[in-house]
Amino acid sequence: MSFAFDLYIDRPSWLHRLDPRTKLAFVAFSSVLLLSFSHPFVSAAFLLGIHGILWSGKVPASRLRWAWQRMWPITILILLLWPIFYPQGEEVLWQVWRIRITTQGLCQGLSMALRVDALAFAFLVLLFSTDQARLVRGLVKLGLPYEWGLTLAIAMRYLPTLYGIYITVSEAQQARGWVIGEGNFVRRIKSYLPILVAVIVMALRLADNLSMALSARGFQSGARRTYLKDLELSLADKVCLPLFAASLILFLIFRLRHGLGA
Amino acid sequence: MDDVVIVENVHYAYPPLTPGGEPIPVLKGVNLRVRRGEFLALMGPTGVGKTTLCLTLNGILPHLMGGTFQGKVVVAGMDTREHGPGEMSRQVGLVFQDPESQLFNMTVEGEVAFGLESLGLSPSEMEERIAWALEVVRLSGLRQRHPLQLSGGQKKRLAIATVLAMRPQVLVLDEPVTGLDPVGRHEVLSVVEELKREREATVIMVEQDAEAVLTWADRVVIMEEGRLVLEGSPRQVLSQVESLHDWGLAVPQLGELAHLFNRRQGTSFHFFTEDEAYSALADEPISNIQYPVPDTQHPTSSEHSTAVQVEDLCYRYDDGPWAVADINLSVEAGEFLAIIGQNGSGKTTLVKHLNGLLRPTRGRVLVLGQDTAGQSVGQLARKVGYLFQNPDHQIFAPTIWEEVAFGLRNLGFSEGEVATHATEALALFGLGDHADTPPAVLGYGLRRKVTLAAVWAMRPQVLVLDEPTAGLDWRGTCTLMEEVTSLNSQGHTIILVTHDMKLVAEFARQVLVLDEGRALAYGPTRQLFQQEAILRQAFLAPPPITVLARRMRPYGLRGDSLTVEEFYQDYTALQQLDKEQRGRSPEQSEGTGAEEQGNRVPATLCPCDLAP
Repeated sequence: MSFAFDLYIDRPSWLHRLDPRTKLAFVAFSSVLLLSFSHPFVSAAFLLGIHGILWSGKVPASRLRWAWQRMWPITILILLLWPIFYPQGEEVLWQVWRIRITTQGLCQGLSMALRVDALAFAFLVLLFSTDQARLVRGLVKLGLPYEWGLTLAIAMRYLPTLYGIYITVSEAQQARGWVIGEGNFVRRIKSYLPILVAVIVMALRLADNLSMALSARGFQSGARRTYLKDLELSLADKVCLPLFAASLILFLIFRLRHGLGA
Repeated sequence: MDDVVIVENVHYAYPPLTPGGEPIPVLKGVNLRVRRGEFLALMGPTGVGKTTLCLTLNGILPHLMGGTFQGKVVVAGMDTREHGPGEMSRQVGLVFQDPESQLFNMTVEGEVAFGLESLGLSPSEMEERIAWALEVVRLSGLRQRHPLQLSGGQKKRLAIATVLAMRPQVLVLDEPVTGLDPVGRHEVLSVVEELKREREATVIMVEQDAEAVLTWADRVVIMEEGRLVLEGSPRQVLSQVESLHDWGLAVPQLGELAHLFNRRQGTSFHFFTEDEAYSALADEPISNIQYPVPDTQHPTSSEHSTAVQVEDLCYRYDDGPWAVADINLSVEAGEFLAIIGQNGSGKTTLVKHLNGLLRPTRGRVLVLGQDTAGQSVGQLARKVGYLFQNPDHQIFAPTIWEEVAFGLRNLGFSEGEVATHATEALALFGLGDHADTPPAVLGYGLRRKVTLAAVWAMRPQVLVLDEPTAGLDWRGTCTLMEEVTSLNSQGHTIILVTHDMKLVAEFARQVLVLDEGRALAYGPTRQLFQQEAILRQAFLAPPPITVLARRMRPYGLRGDSLTVEEFYQDYTALQQLDKEQRGRSPEQSEGTGAEEQGNRVPATLCPCDLAP
């Protein structure tokens, strides 16, 4: 059974102990920051800083390598395509027919690629260090209705299960001589039909049983729900949150008033 | 007045499956009372309404599913007509059959906490109850584990802990050991025993396993067609062998032996356990006789061609440890091989190599003399039929006929051939009248049968059956095994993966024991079941009848019986020999001897005398 749907890695670190709300605030802070500053130096510095955070948060290097393996194709793609589709600018480095490569285009491409990477890693700070239950808890604490949070948590919990069912069903149909994923597009789509029907029927049964299991566990028993491990802001959180807010305001003032980092 | 559960004349019908259809009546007037502290076993064949009755106890029926409900269910003074399942959950702890759908949290601890959070308890009280419940089910060390990472037995125990922590008045367990391997069964049943012995819990347990019922229940009720038809102490109820068999239920294997003696020899034995049987049977006068060892081997097919050959097979998933290692196997055409071992011992991994779903990391696999390398799963499907454990993994077609025709069309048969093969398969499995029925609406036993028919229709030489009897009741098991035996006698090679040692003893001629991916033993069933040390190493045990037979060897018994019938034949042959040697004994006259002889033909026996 695969657990690949969960990025969380359990480590004893300050980053893991941080309240999920603080980390959500960090993601918001990073997004606003990265979207308003376009200079490649800002994104690069930010990216470096995030790696520092991940490293001090004891996220193993293998996970970072895993993340970069997924990020570099899109990074290369942006670096290649941006200059081609952005022919403006004075300094023309290279021109064939209508394709103009300019210094400005290259810079913008670099900036865009670094921003996308930095943004992705800002999210990974949250996902690598926060288990799903705490993440959902954080969202509920921020005002998401509990039922929605529970639905979200259950959806994440059952992804591996449904994947397992999918694998077994496709094996069962192959064992009866069914060939999956060959031929033209329409035929390929059709070849998944016998599998999808069986998976959907099983998923419906699962959902039925799940709703019974929930009510057998006192769900909607009328009592006000309490929590075994409620989230409370620790000292670190109380330091981090105003820090984010203050630096965000500061950065934005510099950006808007003084036009820095454009 | 101390009845904690009161069920009065309950009728229930599920809402119709299709709009405008008929409601489906399941409970037809159930009356039941359970005293505080009582351990009640509810037995009955599949599809008679046992689970439905459980669901009425905490108000899931009718509150959650609708349908028509008449009568009254009161648990701990609360009437389910007035209180929904959310409130009833404080009184009734319901543990469902399927562990997968009731473990929906990310950690073991969170799983137990869920119900307590619903009740609005304080964190300190929750902490206390979680620690207690996990200790009862012996999972204290695994609090942060993901429920998906637990073994089958651990999952069931966790499911019990989740409702136990809510301190309900009544615990309802729906088939708590179904589908578990022997280790898992033992783990769960020992928790059940502790609940009974030390916590004096009120428990209602739905259970097929007669041996478990005999050991733990204070009282047994039998359910048949939506009604309770028999109740009493386990010993009273389980000695009604004929009625139970008529209802399609198993009895403990040694109880069946007692019944066989009583019926054929007019004795009045009443034993269930090994010790009881031993003292009853060893009392009979038997002198120590050197018994001629007859040929006990079943005749194997004459041509001696090899159906499946496995050479030095090793396999691992990704970079994991070896899932199977150094397996060598040579299965003759027409053989009946059983593969046994705990969950995770590599049984399914091994058999998936036979039809190419997995490819060897090292070594090779030959089917009908040809290496599976270079043959697609589709090509191998002509030679190897593979019956998956859960019929719902393969059922998808709108009608049974389509379901059976599916594989044939895949293999490229002409429409004419598809029609003849499919019709023949449906006829063979007695499904001819249901050809246009959607398979999804059938009961579990019939769905199982449809999948077997669908695999058989493709006429594979080798049939791999992965836990085919899991979830079937005794009658369903008998029918299925009868069909499998008849396929075997037509020359099909059968490879059976199972946890049920009685099935192995009765049907398999060869056995492969797997332990942690390695072959622990491989040989004829009769010899292998004598080597208890090897079986124990794989956490397995021979069926009770084999254990009893060996224990009685000093009395002159051959001691290697695999079935009740064999034991009986052995024993009576010994009685006969004993009589002839003494050459007298007026009370054991010619009359009874002749009668015995006449009864030797097991014509009146059930198709198979197993008792799962």
